[in-house]
Amino acid sequence: MAPPRPSRKRKESVGSVESDYGLEGAVLDGVLSDSGDESGAESEVGSAGFDDPNVDDEEHSSDADSVSDAGDLSDKPNYKVVKDADGNERYEYAEIDPVYDSDDSDAREQTNTIGNIPLSFYDSYPHIGYDINGRKVMRPATGEALDALLDSIELPKGWTGLTDPETGKPLNLSQDELELLRRIQMGEAPEDGYDPYPEMVPYFTGIEEKMPLSAAPEPKRRFLPSKHEAKRIAKLVRAIKEGKIQPYKSPEEREKEEEEVEETYYDIWANEEPQERHIMHVPAPKLAPPGYDMSYNPPPEYLPTDEERKGWEQTDPEEREKEYLPAQYDALRKVPGYGNFVKERFERCLDLYLAPRVRKNRLNIDPNSLLPKLPRPDELKPFPTHCRTVFHGREGRVRTVAFSPYGNWVASGGDDGTVGVWDPNGNLAWSARLSTEEPVNVIRWRPNKDTFILAAAAGEELFFVIPPLCDIKTLEASREILDAGFGYAANGAHATTAVNGFKQDRPAKWGRPGSKLEASGVLLKATVRAPIKMLSWHRRGDFLCTVSPTGQKSSVAIHTLSKHLSQIPFRRLPGLPQAAHFHPTRPFFFVATQRLIRCYDLQRQELVKSLQPGARWISGFDVHPGGDNLIVGSYDRRLLWHDMDLSSRPYKTMRFHSEAIRAVKYHRSLPLFADASDDGTVQVFHGRVVSDLMESATIVPVKMLKGHKVVSKLGVMDVDWHPSHPWCLSAGADGTCRLWA
Amino acid sequence: MDIDPPAQVKVIFTTKEPDLLLPESKQQLLVPADVKRYGLSRILNSESMLNTSAPIPLDFIANGTFLSTSISEHLAAEGLSHETTITLEYARSLVPPVYEASFEHDDWVSAVDVLSPSAPVAAGADADERVASASYDGLVRVWDRSGNLVAVSPPSVASQYRKRLDTMKWLSPKQLVSAGLEERITVWDYDKTDDGSVGSLKPRLELWGHDKRIHSLAVNASTGRMLSSSEDGRLGLWSWSKQKAPPADPECFAFTHFSKKGQIAAPKSAQRGPLAMVKLNDDSPISAATFHHKDPTVAYWTSGDGTVRTIDLTTAKEVSRLATQHQFSCLAALPNSLVAAAGRLDNIVLLDPRESTATTTAMTLKGHVNWVSSLCPSPENDYSLVSGSWDSTCRVWDLRRVDSDPSTGSGRRAIKPAYTIKRQWLEGKKLPEAGDGAKVLSVVWDKTWGIVSGGEDKKVQVNRGRNLLS
Repeated sequence: MAPPRPSRKRKESVGSVESDYGLEGAVLDGVLSDSGDESGAESEVGSAGFDDPNVDDEEHSSDADSVSDAGDLSDKPNYKVVKDADGNERYEYAEIDPVYDSDDSDAREQTNTIGNIPLSFYDSYPHIGYDINGRKVMRPATGEALDALLDSIELPKGWTGLTDPETGKPLNLSQDELELLRRIQMGEAPEDGYDPYPEMVPYFTGIEEKMPLSAAPEPKRRFLPSKHEAKRIAKLVRAIKEGKIQPYKSPEEREKEEEEVEETYYDIWANEEPQERHIMHVPAPKLAPPGYDMSYNPPPEYLPTDEERKGWEQTDPEEREKEYLPAQYDALRKVPGYGNFVKERFERCLDLYLAPRVRKNRLNIDPNSLLPKLPRPDELKPFPTHCRTVFHGREGRVRTVAFSPYGNWVASGGDDGTVGVWDPNGNLAWSARLSTEEPVNVIRWRPNKDTFILAAAAGEELFFVIPPLCDIKTLEASREILDAGFGYAANGAHATTAVNGFKQDRPAKWGRPGSKLEASGVLLKATVRAPIKMLSWHRRGDFLCTVSPTGQKSSVAIHTLSKHLSQIPFRRLPGLPQAAHFHPTRPFFFVATQRLIRCYDLQRQELVKSLQPGARWISGFDVHPGGDNLIVGSYDRRLLWHDMDLSSRPYKTMRFHSEAIRAVKYHRSLPLFADASDDGTVQVFHGRVVSDLMESATIVPVKMLKGHKVVSKLGVMDVDWHPSHPWCLSAGADGTCRLWA
Repeated sequence: MDIDPPAQVKVIFTTKEPDLLLPESKQQLLVPADVKRYGLSRILNSESMLNTSAPIPLDFIANGTFLSTSISEHLAAEGLSHETTITLEYARSLVPPVYEASFEHDDWVSAVDVLSPSAPVAAGADADERVASASYDGLVRVWDRSGNLVAVSPPSVASQYRKRLDTMKWLSPKQLVSAGLEERITVWDYDKTDDGSVGSLKPRLELWGHDKRIHSLAVNASTGRMLSSSEDGRLGLWSWSKQKAPPADPECFAFTHFSKKGQIAAPKSAQRGPLAMVKLNDDSPISAATFHHKDPTVAYWTSGDGTVRTIDLTTAKEVSRLATQHQFSCLAALPNSLVAAAGRLDNIVLLDPRESTATTTAMTLKGHVNWVSSLCPSPENDYSLVSGSWDSTCRVWDLRRVDSDPSTGSGRRAIKPAYTIKRQWLEGKKLPEAGDGAKVLSVVWDKTWGIVSGGEDKKVQVNRGRNLLS
């Protein structure tokens, strides 16, 4: 549309050109100053009239420039008329020089006119579009890859890494453009210096308008004093009078005044009485946390079966194990209220209130310090430690063992009714069957070293044996000892009955055991009234005592070997006698009943002492070679040491066995003693007796000898010591004897 | 140097045994580096080297240790190159006391003794190789090397229980002596047929003088003297020739025969008494006596009270006394004038009976786990002995192998056993508790026979005894 209009204008102007030619000079100046448009048109018309088509473009423009610089109107047109393709005229204007005042300052150089299509469409062409004049906008030369790399290293100012879609050049942004972008991003006004919130100027102000909005007179209340204010002031005055409101004082002044006021203190602890250090607060014991069975939906194994439920319902509420029955509900909201809640709380409170809670003082004592200080067992050597020999070859239990007076032979007797004599290396040197039915309960060697006599008790019979292992002289001496009483017995027994006048049986019958036994060395037999369980020799070897617990009146008998005489010292004994021993040095005689041990003086025939070991059933005892101490073993697993000088109560009680103690024995020369128990062990103790009265005996357990098997709840039946060495012999219910050293 | 794959090493052979010494020129040799002990032994036994008639197994000591690997491995272990010259010391190799034979008896074997050309009783003369054993059934048996019973003594005249024999010794190739529970000592004549396969034992003499059981006998064949120690606390010195021995005290045996009431037949053999009786003690449950190993006039005697006494036999007086804490039941006089004593304790104690020494106990031999019943010094050297114990083992001791025992302090020295000989039927089993059923009661070590032991298992066991210790 642009080309036709100028053309019409030009036609009009062409028509008026000739008329206006006359008015050249001053008239035109005034016209121009009034309206610029007309003058422009005039000048254009003028210049168009004198247009030379042959004149060069550039000359024209330079001329035009010079004309415009001069400031006066030139009649040169700023266009050329060319013929277009249709043959019509076409005005071709010169390029506008965009000077400062130019309207065309927005016009850009070489603007791509391809519109809003992607630049990639031109990828295959050397140009990237067309400018306003239809000329191709050539693609800027893209540098080599190395150049691009160098560019990327030395970033030019305002580099963005983007490509301008219009020009295809790298899009660089200047600092101002970046600032503009930042502002837009921050949501600020893009232009600098724009204040979006200017201060508001209100319409109605304290400024007195010349024309007031209302013409009403001043109201009366503005002249009358306020009653409300008077009330308030009266209130304040009252407060000031009462001193509630103080006149203002600066802080320094106030401090000064406060310092002047004297400080007053009160001793609230003046009448305090001393109290216990701690408040004895004992926290209440916590209730156990609820278990699974208290859940509203417990696992099925916690739910009671019908029987349990029935049982629970039938039992008395106080005897119930639980005060509730676990029950299952689908949901928590279906759980009914718990009826016993108040009762339970009440009982809990009652418990806490009634049950006294006491803080217990813990003893802070090292338990080791309470143990008595005993010497180490290593310092107390020698004592038996190892099994040296096992003596086999017996059927049934071995009930009794004994070392010969020299300690070079070992005798044993057992359930098979035989007596055997062994070499210490385990070789059975001699044996004889004393009885086919009765076990050999006890054997003891005559303690004299010049004879070789063994006393063995089987059932009611007491045998005196000379094992044919000794030398001839000893054998002869032993035979003489045994045979000496034969002549005496015949006379003496007669005499005693005559003197005493008793018509009862003699306590024992003495005689030969029969030729078969005599051939094997059993030379003498004495038959008493009841089975003998225990026998003991007097140290001189002339007397021996036998104990037969079932014998009632004749349960304890003292036999005189040289006279073949048996006597019953006690007409009546309180309780069943268990064991009896002679005092090793003095004419005393010890008898143990089940509970008590009595000591009798044989010469004066009176009771000297009565000991109370405190055991329920004494199994055996032994007298220390010194004569002042006793060890007692009991079936209730206790081993008791009595010091007869101290008291009738035991000096020491030892409970180291798990089963009954069968036998106890002192060593005859060394400070050792041992006990045999049904738990299959022999325990060896060191027990030193000191002659000093102020010092008491030291008793140290030193060794537990294990080896015997427990057969039908019987372990070790008897124990004996070597006369001089720390060797120990034990008889086991497993049919073996063992030598320990 | 040879560069063939079997590299060779230059070796210098040395030895401390003079009979095996190589000539100077042959002591250096190039041997293959991969050769081991056996190869080295064969090299040395070869004709060019020692030229032994029978190969002697040898052990080699390199740098103080026995060579158990090849030479090259040894060099590698030592970090030496193959070009170094190594010095190998060789010695006769040791063979453990291998079991050889055992002879079955009817009852416990209480004593064994050997007769062989190398035994001291043979006195250098030619003698058969025989083992005599005394048993608890009262019989003395003589066996030959292949286990044949050559001779048995006639049944004892003593009663059933007193016939037990406790000790027995060869007196000469033709005579034996035995003693036991009875008070007498019996000297037996051992006669053999010409081929030696069958012999007979006849009582020759009865020696009376002790009152009680006799524990041990000691024989000095060179002087024809015999020692006996008895339970009566006396030491008897005897001669076993009918001419030299004095007549017996008639009281001794007359009393016996009278008291026996015809149980014993009239004695067929002659009776003799002791040359001397030394009363040393009142009674001793166990006792032992032995001669000084060189001086036949000196005897050692021990008893149950723990003393070891030195007795001069010419004057029949006690010369010195060593008191110990233990009860000894056997003694052995060692060539280095020490006395080995053992008995009712686990250890064997080496005592120095000389008065000059400060400490009585020279060494302690630890290893047995039960009481030791018998001791015998080695016939080959003067630093080893064998012991038999109730723990069912015999142990061979090398007195040179002294371990410093930290537990006993600096003064005491303890030795551990070199070999332990178990009873053959217990081989591979655990030792029985307390030696139950297999106690060794007697052991003898002879050059020809080896180690002969008898005991509770009713067997006499023979073990190889040569070259046990280097």
